[in-house]
Amino acid sequence: MTPPEGSREGSGGQERQPAAEAAARLAGRPRHGGSGRRLELDQIMERLPLAVDRAMGEAGLWAPALAARALRQAQGDPLGAAQLLRAHRTTLPRLAVSTPVTSEDLSVTRRISSAFRNPPGGQLLGRTLDYVGRLLDLLPEDEGRMRAAGDTGTTAAVAHEGNGSHAHVHGADGSHAHVHGADGFHAHVSEPDGSHAHVHEADGSHAHPHEVNETDAPAPVDRSPRNLLAVLRSMDVVAPPTEGADPEPFDVTRAAPRGDAPRSAWLQAMARADTGSLMHTWYGSNWRPSGHEIPGEVRHGMLPVRVTHPSTGRAVTVTRVLVSEVQTFHSLTRAGELGRTLDVGYGLCFGRNDRKAISMAGLDLMLTHHRGSEGPLDEVLFTLDGLDSIGYAQHLKLPHHVEFRSLVERGRAVAAGRAAATARVDHGDLAVPADRADHGDKQ
Amino acid sequence: MSTTRNLDRLAGPEQRAGIFDELSKREIRRAILSGVAIPGYQVPFGSREMPVARGWGSGGLQATLALVGEGTRLKVIDQGEDAGVNASNLRRLVVDHVGCVPETDTRAADVIQSRHRIPEQPLAQGQVLVLQVPGPEPLAGIVKEMDEQRRMHAEADYAKMWVRLYEDIVHNGVITASAGYPVLVEGRYVMTPSPIPRWDVPKLHDSEGLTILAAGREKRIFAVPPHTRVEPLTFEDRPFEVEFTPGAACRMCGTARGYIVEEPGEGGAPPSWVCSDADFRQRCHAGELGPVLNTPAAGSTPAAPAPKETSAR
Repeated sequence: MTPPEGSREGSGGQERQPAAEAAARLAGRPRHGGSGRRLELDQIMERLPLAVDRAMGEAGLWAPALAARALRQAQGDPLGAAQLLRAHRTTLPRLAVSTPVTSEDLSVTRRISSAFRNPPGGQLLGRTLDYVGRLLDLLPEDEGRMRAAGDTGTTAAVAHEGNGSHAHVHGADGSHAHVHGADGFHAHVSEPDGSHAHVHEADGSHAHPHEVNETDAPAPVDRSPRNLLAVLRSMDVVAPPTEGADPEPFDVTRAAPRGDAPRSAWLQAMARADTGSLMHTWYGSNWRPSGHEIPGEVRHGMLPVRVTHPSTGRAVTVTRVLVSEVQTFHSLTRAGELGRTLDVGYGLCFGRNDRKAISMAGLDLMLTHHRGSEGPLDEVLFTLDGLDSIGYAQHLKLPHHVEFRSLVERGRAVAAGRAAATARVDHGDLAVPADRADHGDKQ
Repeated sequence: MSTTRNLDRLAGPEQRAGIFDELSKREIRRAILSGVAIPGYQVPFGSREMPVARGWGSGGLQATLALVGEGTRLKVIDQGEDAGVNASNLRRLVVDHVGCVPETDTRAADVIQSRHRIPEQPLAQGQVLVLQVPGPEPLAGIVKEMDEQRRMHAEADYAKMWVRLYEDIVHNGVITASAGYPVLVEGRYVMTPSPIPRWDVPKLHDSEGLTILAAGREKRIFAVPPHTRVEPLTFEDRPFEVEFTPGAACRMCGTARGYIVEEPGEGGAPPSWVCSDADFRQRCHAGELGPVLNTPAAGSTPAAPAPKETSAR
């Protein structure tokens, strides 16, 4: 942006408008006049799915093709893309509210449990780079292109190349045949990292995904496993829910939440939060209990979205969205109670974003525990929205010289008052504290 | 097409493609009406995301969009300038989407959206001033908890605010609040008038026009209807002080009748001063100004009686 102020002429600014427009035009061009090809939407959706997911999650709008477009327009900045998506969302009327779904309806593409070696329903690694060594792939470009074009993902380099195709979510219509059934795709074919049960051994290593032996294929994985919370409830190790039902969830996009907001408000605020801010609030919180929570489950999967048909009154599935879900457990003792049962924290967000879901579940655990006392609730409700914080940071780039003059004038007034008072003190009239108090300026 | 029929039934007739749907505009108008009904009270509203960053006038933009129609004469200023980058951007957004008439003459505008300034030209009956507000809560620097702020407003318990002002005087000899000086509206609610300079604060008192203050990021709207008492918080023996620099005058129009801002000199030259209200500066320069301007003499008390050193009932 051009510096907007500082012109020496009263008509100053007439010549600034073109500058602002020129800046906007330049922003769309490649840096350094590069000659790279224009990014196509399918490239972005297929090859940068995590960025697309993050933009959608922080925008609170599920629209993969639009999100890819927004990412391209925002030059790859997920928050910038989220801002574009949110502004777009404002132009759309709200036509219906979907009916509640339970996460029992989740058709999982990933499901790992830290709490059990082998939970009912099994472990399903899904597409992840979690278990791949953090080595930069220095394969020559030509070779990489050849492999990407010709091979089906049974090479050592597969983790670097085979983690992007995500067509079943990012198809232009947001859905794709092979996720509509719980029997989806076969893990050992379309999951080149060979996800299956009991990969979560103590060594956790999974260095040779390409050595998965087809004849030694694991038992078919349960695509809709019972969620672990139900299992734990049946084992009687989980505290009963303390919050009442929330039949009319609070909507932070339509009402300004207050400190007495229900749990649905903070869950929604966190689901839409800037991932980095959310993570910091959880990770850096003074409210974190000693020890750490243990995720019973980290899941990815497709969740159906159903609305009531305006004519027939029946629930119709209009689309499916990919979500990350985490249920995490910790034993938090309260005064006068034994920590006999576990508390539950819940996290759910759009797209693949384990980091966000884990932070969210950890914070939910804390917020529930510190309900009604001084906890991190205000911070969660009012400081995590990425658009709010980047908006505030960006507004500092706007001219403030009217305010600045006012500030400087007060400083001079204080100094002048001191000088006068000092002169009076010399005549023995009055004593003035010599320390400078901080300004009472609130803005 | 039954789909179209259903859409019509759900969303009303098709609207002009824009940046804001009609249902949302109605919500904003309802919030504005509540604000007018309870002067100075911060009305929470479901602030939408606008095509500008939150902090670049997203609240003001929503209020303006909810108010203007085709043919509305719209003036947009930032720091008093019509031609600033931000003002131009906001004006272009609204004009392109609604088709209202861009206007720079304060007297001719129906709606004036402004950041950080109230025009020098007093508002006339029927004019609406929309102020962009970064931080709407006057108690934000006094108490941290939002619930406590709400309680204080609800009970008109502004004791801590008075203590803060008193301490300010004890420590510094003057009240150091610069822009966004706290005011008492109609003897009831303490309000921050957005970061306007103290010079502009008296213009809110008993104004002919309606002032709407909108904070998009903070999701609150509040208002000062015409002919409302607006008193800056100060003590009986401490007159409210506006910005004043002895000997400073606008280098363009030669007066200090408007709010002037300092510009550092280049190459060792002394700093110079210039009126921040572009429309006023231009008319002043052209010698068009009548002597009726609402310009408080420096250091004067405003026309309003200063509030007593007790909180309002």
